[in-house]
Amino acid sequence: MAQKTGFQIDEKALIRAAQEGDQDAFGQLVRAYDQSVLRLAMNLLRSPEDAQDVYQEAFLRVYRNLNSFRFDCSFHTWLYRIVTNLCLDQMRKRKVRREESSQVEGADGPVDRMDTLQESRVDGDPQRHLFSGELRERIQKALGELTNRERMVFELRHYQGLKLRNIGEILGTSEEAAKNCLFRATQKMRVALGDFV
Amino acid sequence: MNGKNDSCEMIRTQLAMLLYGELSFDEEEAVDAHLESCAECRAALDRERVLHAAFDQAEIEPPAQVLWESRQNLQERIASEHALTSSRGANWWDQFVDALMLRPANGSGWMKPAGALALVTLGFLAARVVPNAGVGVVGMSMADPGAQRVRSVEPAPNGGIQIVLDETRQRIVSGGLDDQNIRVLLLSAAKDPSDPGLRYETVGILNDRAQTAEVRDTLIYALEHDENAGVRLKAMDGLKPFVLQPEVRKALAGVLLSDGNPGMRTQAIDLLTQGVGESTGNIGNALDRDVIGTLQELMNRENNAYVRQRGQRVLQLVNASPETY
Repeated sequence: MAQKTGFQIDEKALIRAAQEGDQDAFGQLVRAYDQSVLRLAMNLLRSPEDAQDVYQEAFLRVYRNLNSFRFDCSFHTWLYRIVTNLCLDQMRKRKVRREESSQVEGADGPVDRMDTLQESRVDGDPQRHLFSGELRERIQKALGELTNRERMVFELRHYQGLKLRNIGEILGTSEEAAKNCLFRATQKMRVALGDFV
Repeated sequence: MNGKNDSCEMIRTQLAMLLYGELSFDEEEAVDAHLESCAECRAALDRERVLHAAFDQAEIEPPAQVLWESRQNLQERIASEHALTSSRGANWWDQFVDALMLRPANGSGWMKPAGALALVTLGFLAARVVPNAGVGVVGMSMADPGAQRVRSVEPAPNGGIQIVLDETRQRIVSGGLDDQNIRVLLLSAAKDPSDPGLRYETVGILNDRAQTAEVRDTLIYALEHDENAGVRLKAMDGLKPFVLQPEVRKALAGVLLSDGNPGMRTQAIDLLTQGVGESTGNIGNALDRDVIGTLQELMNRENNAYVRQRGQRVLQLVNASPETY
């Protein structure tokens, strides 16, 4: 039975409603997850345009295939399978293009694209390109050295806060394999940043 | 001795998983027991904690604008698919857009104020922030706007019928910014933890009414507590005209010392030191002691070169020492 108390919405009821063509329910489903989807894509791809592409494609696939969703897993897991596959595809393409840098040329030299995005919200002062600290740059560089799957597992565990069991389910692997992946990722990060912290 | 080294090595491989809470009960027990007796591994755990905390600095929160654009683009994409494929009712698309963007069905943009009029559409949000806004199920008219679905029907013991309705209500509330009801909704929406896009737009609307203490308090709250830098910056914009008020200065000093975004800290310096050094005549403009003290404290802790440079420049202009000792 669907019951709502305040902001708590029965997700199953929402999904069923959306499957039956309830537009409002579909909109609410999108809103429930789209911020974390965008954050995941943005952190992995470090490009607002690519992240927006993943966002569009992911929710379009949800829209097209919602009727085939049979509650065999949670909606979150189903959505994240779509999103992580799209992100991994995008990351592979980048490796092939070798390497579409996340840096652009600023007035004072190379600047991380994500920093320019954030700065543009502050104002147009070019001097504010100095935002990214050395530590942040080092972490980004270390993240860039991880394999795509290590990067994905690290992102899902550290920044999205998902448990390894859930990550395994999303990536179609075992909890143990996800754990090994995370272990390798943290090991590499420690080596890369050991002298800094 | 070798035995201890081996055991330390093994324990250290598990420290990251310990912090992630991903060790089994037995593994965690073994690590805890070892840590109790090994100072070196405890130090290694401390270093691991520092490393974990450092990772957080690299996380990017998508700006509200990017989220907003993404939602708009999604609307357009789905609209074109829908036009090609759907046999649903003609109103389907409009209703989806309203649900996604939380905007009135007849509005021309997302929560854009038309003059002094704020037109606010609140879907499930309304139920949360306005306890009495909804109509009770008993006596509800089926003509009420909002999606309803009969989930189950069964005979009731008293001979009547019990119907369970799934309900997704949407109400449109309209009025001017001076309307108390509108203001209550806006003040709540400005703190809605689930949607930075909504908070950003709401704070933008409230900025026009920052002369009232109630609105100003909300803007100060957003400035001090909102997790999204875009929202905090928007709130700061609204507070600019009130920069001489003590509570605003106090909030800006707090931004200077504790906001994680260097852009916010830079803006706070600019606002707190408005007028200083604008022309030669103004150099040495009186800058209150609190601000000077705050800037000096900032110099002690600031890591960002640009923010440091801005702070130092102001302190030089008022002939204050660059740091406290």
